[in-house]
Amino acid sequence: MPVVELSYARLQKLVGKVTKKQISDSLPFLGLDIESEDKDLVRIEYSPNRPDYSTDFGIALGLQGLLGIKTGIVKLNVKKSNKYTISVKSGVSKIRPFVTGIIATHGKIDDKTIKQLITMQEDLHFGVGRKRKKSSIGIHDLDKISFPLVYTTTNRNHKFIPLNSEKEISISEILVNTDVGKDYGSLLGQSSQVPIIFDENQNTVSFPPIINAAVTTVTTKTKNLFVEVTGINKEDAEDMLSVVATILQTTGFTLESVKISGAKNSSPKLEQKKISVSSSLINQILDLNLNTSKMIASLKKSRLDASSKGTNIICTIPPYRFDIFGPMDLVEEVALGYGIQNLEPTLSPSQTIGKTNPISLQLKSLDQTMIGLGYLEALNSSLTSKRVLYDMTDRDSSKIISVLDSKSQEHTILRDSILPGLLDNLSRNIHESYPQKIFETGTVFTLGNPISEKINFSGISAHKDANFTEIKSVIQSALNIGFAIQIKTKTATNPTFEEGHCATITLNNIPIGIIGKIKSKIVENYKIRVPVVGFEMSLSESILKN
Amino acid sequence: MSQVFHEIEKKIITSLRDNPKQTPELLEKSTQLSPDQIRRGIEWLKLKDLVIVTESKSTVISLGKNGIESFQKGLPERRLLDLLKTGPKKLSDLQKELGSVFGPSMGLARKNNWVEATSDKFSIKNSPSELPGEKTLKLIGNKKLPVDKLDANDLSGLLKRPDFIIEDVIKSKEITLSDSAKSIKLSNTQGEIDVEAKVPQVFVARTHPLKDTINEIREIFVTLGFSEIFGNMTQSSFWNFDALFTPQDHPARELQDTFYLDKINAKKIGTSEQIRKISESHKKNWRYQWDINEARKMVLRTHTTCVTIKHLAENKSDEARIFSLGRVFRNEKVSYKHLVEFNQIEGVVVGKDANLRNLMGIQREFYKRIGITKIKFWPTFFPYTEPSLQTMVYNEKLGKWIELFGMGIFRPEVTKPLGITKPVLAWGGGIERIAMLKYDLDDVREFYNNNLGWLRSTTKCQ
Repeated sequence: MPVVELSYARLQKLVGKVTKKQISDSLPFLGLDIESEDKDLVRIEYSPNRPDYSTDFGIALGLQGLLGIKTGIVKLNVKKSNKYTISVKSGVSKIRPFVTGIIATHGKIDDKTIKQLITMQEDLHFGVGRKRKKSSIGIHDLDKISFPLVYTTTNRNHKFIPLNSEKEISISEILVNTDVGKDYGSLLGQSSQVPIIFDENQNTVSFPPIINAAVTTVTTKTKNLFVEVTGINKEDAEDMLSVVATILQTTGFTLESVKISGAKNSSPKLEQKKISVSSSLINQILDLNLNTSKMIASLKKSRLDASSKGTNIICTIPPYRFDIFGPMDLVEEVALGYGIQNLEPTLSPSQTIGKTNPISLQLKSLDQTMIGLGYLEALNSSLTSKRVLYDMTDRDSSKIISVLDSKSQEHTILRDSILPGLLDNLSRNIHESYPQKIFETGTVFTLGNPISEKINFSGISAHKDANFTEIKSVIQSALNIGFAIQIKTKTATNPTFEEGHCATITLNNIPIGIIGKIKSKIVENYKIRVPVVGFEMSLSESILKN
Repeated sequence: MSQVFHEIEKKIITSLRDNPKQTPELLEKSTQLSPDQIRRGIEWLKLKDLVIVTESKSTVISLGKNGIESFQKGLPERRLLDLLKTGPKKLSDLQKELGSVFGPSMGLARKNNWVEATSDKFSIKNSPSELPGEKTLKLIGNKKLPVDKLDANDLSGLLKRPDFIIEDVIKSKEITLSDSAKSIKLSNTQGEIDVEAKVPQVFVARTHPLKDTINEIREIFVTLGFSEIFGNMTQSSFWNFDALFTPQDHPARELQDTFYLDKINAKKIGTSEQIRKISESHKKNWRYQWDINEARKMVLRTHTTCVTIKHLAENKSDEARIFSLGRVFRNEKVSYKHLVEFNQIEGVVVGKDANLRNLMGIQREFYKRIGITKIKFWPTFFPYTEPSLQTMVYNEKLGKWIELFGMGIFRPEVTKPLGITKPVLAWGGGIERIAMLKYDLDDVREFYNNNLGWLRSTTKCQ
């Protein structure tokens, strides 16, 4: 979840007539988790579906609504203008086909605002923009740019001075030598042409989605902004633009339109949309008895507009709320505006009779039987390592099921057997007193259509007198008492078990497991200094009943 | 009534009554017991508060290499003075006789005015009968002596000389009887045993503490009218993500968060109708090219929700309470608060009247039954539920609110393509988190360490 750092004092100023406590009490009810607080600073986790909460300006809008200071929709006032145009050349169609943009003038930007805008940009890039793949933003100093602009392509030898640099470097060099180039260069594919925005004088404004030109850098002296969003989809680019436009207007900028044309591009509409929801759905889902005016008031507290039409509520949604898909989202907006804390939990009687899964019951019964036999229950991960599963026990590793890119060396392979894990457990307990007897039941995995999951049962016993007879007695009693079945043991060989002390466990002449004395070499591998005997068998096929 | 004592204990007490302060070594002699018997006896009596063991440290002095040489031949300065007894001697002759100790011994003798130099020879000026250090050197000899038996002043000069004195720090114990032991009666009856004595620990075999919590939670949901279903841990991305309205380019689907199985893809992921409707919903709402190959990729389930949604899609019940309990996986770095594999409980209620306040009520009832009464609900976000809430529970020990189960009502974008027509309340969360609170653990890894010391000693939840 993305995190944004805010100052209470600044929020108080933005929200107006509110105490610090009111703010900290209200944040969670906007769906914002307070991660940490340090005097005036507060770090807040917000949900990726609400990119407008990536700045304190956006959060202030939400708080104003919830606290009833300012409610209703935040309307975008975009002054129609013919001064600013971008023409799009067809070359971009195959690489990054869409551009959109807006002008923001007469604003004031201090250090903190710049910091908030940069965080917003990064969060938008990561979330809505899917790491700049879907869409990405450039924010520029308008006064350094001569319109009209052209969104076109250039070759990789093209040079300009990129942001945070002092000298001209080529596109190829940017892609190889800068962090952003390395991180996002792959979005441009192998094509010799890359997207570029030039101004009237053929000066580079931006090399989307990688980096802006240094000349348009926004500083605290900047008064007027040009925002461009490029992307692979027009709607997504406009969604992102609507968030930036809303935030800039909230900071005090005046918005002016940019005319865009060429290669299937058009000027952004930044339109509100209307969704209708029936009042009965709201009352049904929330189990409330609200009249339509209370619903409308609640929606307004969620910074939407609404009116009633019969028993339906017609809701007006600003363009930056593209997380709202349909009526159910509006039910949630009503709940938020109404206040989650005002919803009293109710316990309705169950119409159904509960039932434990028979497999769970049988496993629980087996657990009790094993405890009666003096065995302690162990629990191991199903995702384990080649070392534990195969290397230490000399088992066949030709059919391993591994996961990609695990962050933990100890968790890379799905277990096909439980016993190696139990041996590993004992090796970590050699300082504890003996006898040590442990067992585990759990899922094991084998390849096949595409993977089969079965429940296995394994146990081991380690002490100075541990022997085959002991462990056979245990499994014989456990299965007889637990499942009323009689097993037999047939001489066998197995890489993990000592020859002459190893047998297949059979049920009605069908092999279901293996039992015996663990090879002394393996016991030594594990640095265990007493003999170990053990067994492992499948429960799924012939023992557990659904 | 008198307490019953072991023979060893009786002998030790009796001996200490005669001689109230003894070292273990002394007790060995006075009781004729072996060192091991004495050690055990003292340990038993100490546990019964009948003896007091005071440990002390003392320094023992013996001679080093140069000290032994001086003990045998006399201090270097004594040897110098002895040579000069027979009359003045030349420097070169003295050097030859004394070798390497000439320098330091002459230095000392000059400084103390024991010798004087006349023209090219040295002669005795004023020779004391006993030189500093000689008394101590003789006293130590070949023995080891406690430092307090020696004249500290006389010793200090010797301590400065290289390899001369060896100081050993020796820890010693002194055993005395406690006040209660002084008057205790030592019975002489045969065959009785000390029923008040400590006994060896035996270890109970038991189910795993985490399993106890899992069983407890299972039982609570069964008594609340829920039926348990099972599902696979390996799932196609289709059920783990696509069916739950998580777009294919969603960050949660990346390799760095989710375990994908290497080169394993599901052949059959759902009915053609399910695939068609879900892909349409994605295309329409998320605006991207939905790719069936992405949906075929096998993952280790990141939640048990895939099991419940699949069950609902197959059964399409209008009225149901079901839950699923099992392992889920996240590609995370293992730490005291994160595991790659943990248990999750996931429940759903289907019903025409199912609503948000019911969902909250079920949560409240569940928490009440596991002993958590201070709870509240906060809004949150999940891709597949709307509205979405999370429970916060207050932990007295930590003095703060902790996030537990997440919940919500399945989005129409989830239910509609699968033909589920009634509202579905869903919730779920990690079990280890609850078990950590119950067992007062700070490190979640303890549940999977299988540390016998912990498993054998942890008390069951009260």
